[in-house]
Amino acid sequence: MKTVKRTWVVNGESRTVDVPPARRLLDVLRVELKLTGTKEGCGEGECGACTILLNGQPVVSCLMAAGHVPDGSELMTVEGLEKTENGRLLQEAYVEKGAAQCGFCIPGMIMSSYALLTRNPHPDEAEIRTAHAGNLCRCTGYQKIVEAVELAATKWKRA
Amino acid sequence: MRSVEDIACVFPASLKEALEIQADEKRRGRILAGGTDLMVQWESGLQPAPERVVGILGVPELRGIREEDDAIVVGAATTHWQLHTSALVRQFAPALAASAATVGGVQIQSLGTIAGNVANASPAGDLAPALLVTGGSVVVASVAGERTISLAQFFLGYRKIDLKPEELIVRFVLPKLPYGFREGFTKLGPRAAQAISKVMGAWRGKASAGVVESFAVALGSMAPTAVRLGDLEAWLPGKKINKKLLDEVEAKVTASLKPIDDIRSTAEYRGWVSGRLVRGFLEELAHVCG
Amino acid sequence: MSGAGPKRLIYSVAVRILRTRVRYSMTTGVTHRKGIIGKGIARVDGLEKVRGITQYVDDLDMPGCWHAFVVRSPVAHGKLRGLQLDPAFDWSKVVVVTASDIPGPNLFVMHDRSMPVLAADTVRYIGEPMALVAAPTLAQAKEAAAHIKADIEELPPILTLEELVALFKDGKLVTGVEQQAPAGVGGFAGGTPASGDVLCSQSIIKGDVEKGLAEADLVVEGEYTAGYQEQLYIEPQGMIAIPQKDGGVFLRGSLQCPYYVVHELHEALGLPADKVRVRQEAVGGAFGGKEEFPSMVAGYCALPALKSGKPVKLIYDRHQDILFTTKRHPVWVRHKTGLKRDGTITAIKVDFLLNGGAYLTLSDVVMYRGILHAAMGYRCPNVDVNGLTGRTNVFPSGAFRGFGAPQATWGMESQIDRCAEALGVAPHEFRLKNCLQVGDTTPTGMVLIDSVGSPTVLTEALQRAKFDQKLKRCTHGKPGAKSWYGIGLSFFAHGSGFTGDGESKIGTKVLLELGWFENGRPGVTIRVSSTDMGQGAFTVLSQIVADGLCAAIEQVRYPLPDTSLAPNSGPTVASRTTMVVGATLFGAAQKLRAMLEEFAGKPITSARQFDSVADKYLQQHGPTRVENGFKLPDKIKWDQKTFRGDAYPAFAWGCNIAEVEIDPRTLALSVRKVTAVFDIGRLINPVLAKGQIEGGLTQALGYAVMEKMGIRNGRFDADRMQTYIIPTMLDVPEYDIHFVEFPYEFAAPGAKGVGEMPMDGLAPAIANAVFQATGVRMTDLPITPEKLLRALSAKDTK
Repeated sequence: MKTVKRTWVVNGESRTVDVPPARRLLDVLRVELKLTGTKEGCGEGECGACTILLNGQPVVSCLMAAGHVPDGSELMTVEGLEKTENGRLLQEAYVEKGAAQCGFCIPGMIMSSYALLTRNPHPDEAEIRTAHAGNLCRCTGYQKIVEAVELAATKWKRA
Repeated sequence: MRSVEDIACVFPASLKEALEIQADEKRRGRILAGGTDLMVQWESGLQPAPERVVGILGVPELRGIREEDDAIVVGAATTHWQLHTSALVRQFAPALAASAATVGGVQIQSLGTIAGNVANASPAGDLAPALLVTGGSVVVASVAGERTISLAQFFLGYRKIDLKPEELIVRFVLPKLPYGFREGFTKLGPRAAQAISKVMGAWRGKASAGVVESFAVALGSMAPTAVRLGDLEAWLPGKKINKKLLDEVEAKVTASLKPIDDIRSTAEYRGWVSGRLVRGFLEELAHVCG
Repeated sequence: MSGAGPKRLIYSVAVRILRTRVRYSMTTGVTHRKGIIGKGIARVDGLEKVRGITQYVDDLDMPGCWHAFVVRSPVAHGKLRGLQLDPAFDWSKVVVVTASDIPGPNLFVMHDRSMPVLAADTVRYIGEPMALVAAPTLAQAKEAAAHIKADIEELPPILTLEELVALFKDGKLVTGVEQQAPAGVGGFAGGTPASGDVLCSQSIIKGDVEKGLAEADLVVEGEYTAGYQEQLYIEPQGMIAIPQKDGGVFLRGSLQCPYYVVHELHEALGLPADKVRVRQEAVGGAFGGKEEFPSMVAGYCALPALKSGKPVKLIYDRHQDILFTTKRHPVWVRHKTGLKRDGTITAIKVDFLLNGGAYLTLSDVVMYRGILHAAMGYRCPNVDVNGLTGRTNVFPSGAFRGFGAPQATWGMESQIDRCAEALGVAPHEFRLKNCLQVGDTTPTGMVLIDSVGSPTVLTEALQRAKFDQKLKRCTHGKPGAKSWYGIGLSFFAHGSGFTGDGESKIGTKVLLELGWFENGRPGVTIRVSSTDMGQGAFTVLSQIVADGLCAAIEQVRYPLPDTSLAPNSGPTVASRTTMVVGATLFGAAQKLRAMLEEFAGKPITSARQFDSVADKYLQQHGPTRVENGFKLPDKIKWDQKTFRGDAYPAFAWGCNIAEVEIDPRTLALSVRKVTAVFDIGRLINPVLAKGQIEGGLTQALGYAVMEKMGIRNGRFDADRMQTYIIPTMLDVPEYDIHFVEFPYEFAAPGAKGVGEMPMDGLAPAIANAVFQATGVRMTDLPITPEKLLRALSAKDTK
């Protein structure tokens, strides 16, 4: 099996992988890059637990062929949040509001929150809900997640 | 059992390169764009993973949305997200923008492409009805050159399109919404987001003083492909939009199609609600056009 | 400090306030004013979850771990003649386990010892495990599994609830059939009862229901059904089995009940119980789906692990998880209610039939909880509840939040609305008139005395939702309306703690260890088998212990439950954890605090004092353990044979009010707002409690209007997340959630259960609202536009 080499900027650090070209990006993150924060909930792009940011855009990593992610792409996973001020305040807002219960959907959910606030730091409730419609949660009923994003929005630092 | 791990992939950097690969039977592979349909099918075993895949997201000629006279030209690799956030699409093909906004959630919209959606040719493909009512075309290419096919002729049947093995979809040419015309789109699903439709429809039309001048309407999830209601479209111009007409239209639509029972809905409901949907479209037309 | 014995500054304050027949009493267990019980502190494991560093079972680094794959029956019912391993395949690189490899008896204990670990001579459902394969990679294991063929002579199956109901109505669902335990090691040699037989049955009888029906002015009948529901925890099932040098096995996985796994497996593994060590890893949601089922997952990886000597991992992908794990029991409930013109109830007769799937597993207890709730909530002298669970050749139904109570409440609260309608009385007036209150007797003869939140939850909810005003706005299917509006309610109780004699059988034990933490300061470690699956047990139980000790939350820690380190505090189920385990831990904390206060010669009233006293204590005495056990109050009397007496130590109470809008154009149903008031006793952490309600109501919303799972070709049809639809963030209504506190004084600090309660009442409240909106009564869950269309068409053609 011919593998491909890719060099990406992952959570601010340059990382190189050498993998079968259609290996799922989710598996490359969890196994090769040892970033187990991103989760597999369904393997079919429905639950959003595998959500990461690709050049700032939320994507479901379980449906992406690693080879299709070009060199130089910027990837951000949940582990990268604490490296930025906005990421940390978003995490704090989630903790303060009690937004996590079992926590399994949270790595994907919080990446969708980060992408939304980066794009739109003053979302209304409808915009918050639409931005997270691709992240399923079975524990919380979503209410405290919405409140956490609203709280983070009040403190968000614009670029 | 071949899994995605075993697939040999190439990622051409230009359209020329991609077409040359597809022209060669020994190198030709399944075309992969965003993967939101194909990767699901291969990973789950619903479809066997192919030996070879050609990933086309790196081909620059397939990107971009631009104006060209009376049409907008949309690159094959345009994502749903790009479609519904594009000022051009929102202005000149608003039903298409509205459709793209209902595909999955943000994550799927970031990956899925217009060509992927069309090539997958699912009966529930979200973009097909809106594309059909524009009266537009798809341009496909091979090493032999380009071929333009009217979208009305492109969907041949259940998951079948008029595309030869050596061809690639490169762009869509969609007539702009003419002055005075309006468009609409409705999708009915089992929940508010991230859902495959039970029934959906798109329309493009014009009325004045409550009389239909022109009306194009297409329904999805009602047949093996999305369908334009040609007989209805030919019958409507000149008719006044009133309760009598709407009742007649509703009955005609319900009688004209034979939808199926499946995991999402029933033939009975689909048949009934499709009539209601088109009735609603005409009411909307009367309301917005005056 | 004077006084003999440990000076425990604990006093009871019983405040009797007579408010419209409500008795309200409260016991405080601590003297200091700054206790953290009642505070919405942040969950102790919250930060790690938002950092993405929590380790769920598939995140654990296990170099050299093999992967298991289960070989499953392709047919629903048949005689298994044998398994053939393809001789052309190289079997030396993998390990295969069949029934004959099982060291002990080939069975899971469950409740009747009838379920084999691996099918030996009969297969009873599509997907039933026949063999196990483990290999260095999952791909290799799947490849090997594809080279195992089963020779099965097919037998006719019974597959659906509808078939069971037809048999029941024909008098052919045979009651009183006992399942014989299988005999012999290594093979399931039990008899093959006919499909369509009864797995279990039980009745509740109070008074004389036929007399009650004869006395009635009016008899109202109704039948209600609900289908399967899949738990759909976002983290699929997963388990790792690590063989130990002493011949035992260490199991690490996503599970609710570590000791259940020990109990279920050790016989089949041929090991003494103490050689099976089980540890809960972080659990990504469970909802009952990880109550009994993980014991089976554990068996499927422990057997190849022990045979090969390698650690073996089994992680279900979503498709396998939906197809091959337990679901909520489908139900058919038939009600016959006798009413007098004065609005009172003379008789409640219920037939309650569950679809149990291929084996009993724990369906008896689901049925027990079901029948205990099937006629619950209202005053009635004559009650007859006839409960049965029928066998079908489908995956065994199992535990799912509510455990029979949602099914029972679906039937009862729909029927109550029907009764009100028949009498011409408003639905809330009928409930206010008849609801059980302090001094009343339940169908099993339990007199409600302690901690009774009725009618408060009802009056409070009605007032908050402005129910009687909004009732007047309901559209009743008015033609030409742009939108149909309806408001509906449900009122219900939920038994807290294990059903019937369960709590006394469990014999909850807890342990607190006083010692040094890594930071060099004293602290207390909680050792219980209760798991946190997201509901917040780690936090709530830590709060209770901290409060009992007068310590800060940072001075308490709660490591992952491990059977080699923690005693059996019972399973994390049945809405018992905060109430029962919490009370037992509170008692242990008070014992420890008393020891420290005696040592110090003065009371401890701050965390700083706890730190300095404990520090000195440890220097003198070294690390110290305090145990405690739970004992039900003596006054609780229950007869498991006759099903009479006090079925639960206490009931939690709830009222749900749903407002719906239906678009007459498409019949799309939208639940706009839910008002919910609950009595769950003393609130330990209001933020976590509210989170449980918000999540539970959303899961109940799914049960009511969108989660549809049927059987096609013998197996579950909505077998992917694409087809099994649960609510997204855009589907959730506005919630107005409120708690009223009626603490359970016999188990300080007085909490009752909250976990299951939000599941019970929303579906009937929605159906009742739909009735007010459209004029049609929907009697089958989920309520969909397709069914509404059919019901409205039927109404129009009358």
